[in-house]
Amino acid sequence: MAAIDRPLPVVDDEETGGFFAAAAEHRLVVRTCNSCAATLHLPKSYCHHCGSWDVGWRDVRPTGSVYSWTVLQHSIHEAFPAPCTVVLVQLDEDPAIRFVGYLPGAPELHDGMPVRVRFEDIEPGVTIPQWEPVPEA
Amino acid sequence: MATTDHDHRDRCAVVGIGATEFSKKSGRSVAALVSEASLAAIADAGLTPADIDGVVRSDYDSVTHNDIGHWLGLSGLTFWGITGTGGSAPCGMIGQAVAAILSGQATNVLVYRGLNGRSGLRLGRGSAIQRSGGARHVGGNGTLDEFFLPYGLMAPGQLFAMYARRHMIEYGSTSDDLASIAMTVRKRANANPAAQMAHRTMSLSDYYESRMIADPLRMFDYCLETDGACAVVVTAAERAKDSPHPGVLIRAVTQAAMPEMQGGLVFPALMRPDLLDNPGRRVGKELYRRAGLGPADIDVAQLYDCYTITVLLQLEDYGLCGTGEGGAFASSGAIDIGGTVPINTAGGNLSEGYIHGMNHVVEGVRQMRGQSTSQVPGAQTCLVTSGTPTVTSALILRAA
Repeated sequence: MAAIDRPLPVVDDEETGGFFAAAAEHRLVVRTCNSCAATLHLPKSYCHHCGSWDVGWRDVRPTGSVYSWTVLQHSIHEAFPAPCTVVLVQLDEDPAIRFVGYLPGAPELHDGMPVRVRFEDIEPGVTIPQWEPVPEA
Repeated sequence: MATTDHDHRDRCAVVGIGATEFSKKSGRSVAALVSEASLAAIADAGLTPADIDGVVRSDYDSVTHNDIGHWLGLSGLTFWGITGTGGSAPCGMIGQAVAAILSGQATNVLVYRGLNGRSGLRLGRGSAIQRSGGARHVGGNGTLDEFFLPYGLMAPGQLFAMYARRHMIEYGSTSDDLASIAMTVRKRANANPAAQMAHRTMSLSDYYESRMIADPLRMFDYCLETDGACAVVVTAAERAKDSPHPGVLIRAVTQAAMPEMQGGLVFPALMRPDLLDNPGRRVGKELYRRAGLGPADIDVAQLYDCYTITVLLQLEDYGLCGTGEGGAFASSGAIDIGGTVPINTAGGNLSEGYIHGMNHVVEGVRQMRGQSTSQVPGAQTCLVTSGTPTVTSALILRAA
């Protein structure tokens, strides 16, 4: 259930819409150059590595690790009451690919902590990937 | 005389400075604030508005070139420029003034920044979300905000908290290190009657008792929110010889961006492979090359301080200490008066006022004139930096 004023992503942008379309199918994807295979994340439709405009979306393994985080102790938006945590994640598959996630409260986190995607279906057609800690063995 | 391929070295000067009162509620329009600071700078330069033929502002400034032309009755305005992003602008604005003068497009250039930063739009609360006007859907149209705002990441302090955490992880810097920056800069404000924090001291316990906002950053790691304006006048060094304040030369100025992840407003910088590799490193390297100087030649520095962590990062970016050593360097007293490189001698954004880094330029000029309220004895060079991390800019001033 979406909170009344919760900010939702624009999901039909020319450059980034494909990411959210995949997320709605519970797939994590990154923009990729079809010519040189470079990752173009955050998404754009031109590859500055090889000059190609031929780009697509590549499925990536939805596991990663904690790179940094902040615990918000002061609310500036009613949809995100304090305390809550914003986590910066790097993918296992390619640490140069990062994502941001939201965690309620102030869970215990540490550098390199394993995390995995949980797709949050907010409303029809609007899904965002979230990241949650994987219980460590 | 051209001395390098970047032949602006020492060829322009800052001849006038001006500032309004810094307050929480000016009760005045931004245009009035900018006009007051500008008139003060023009008068300080021994000029009149009729002598100003160029203006440069920040992309965040609501007072446009035509607005200031209208307010001051600028009869000879033939050049105007804008740069940014936001707090990254001020030193780059000086660079645009230099470029206009040396290319023959302007003679006397007014450079300004004004805002009602407390009583108006409060940038610290996140400009994108406020400007969205409560729209349900955020981002798109090149902003890339759709990857950040829906997660509650909305304000610059939250972003810099991520930087602080990462620096602590990689290099073991501590909250004590950040406290030393906040406390050092506060002491400079305590000596500056015009600073918003002129009469409020800060002890280590004051720092730790200040409210946690975005852990690990506390309220006293944050800059102030300020209503006010600052302005300077730039002219050719030859022409400056006839002015009341001929002696502050622009040794060199540089802007730099990163090859990747500089899109959007600010949050995409979090996506860089090495979070702690900032454009400040590139600016620093190029600035010293253009200046023919090195970090050891810097007598005093005005480092952009939207947060304490920003100072820590820039101490490293500009080679004032080694990579990873910013925390220990700050805690050692090196940034205090009497240290290797005293910083933010008017109190900076943290304790003087948040004029988005333009007050750093003004204070740099005061140091080179010998007019600071925390004057560094014998200072001949001053490094001034502007905001980071998306893009940034910096300059070196030299006392002629």
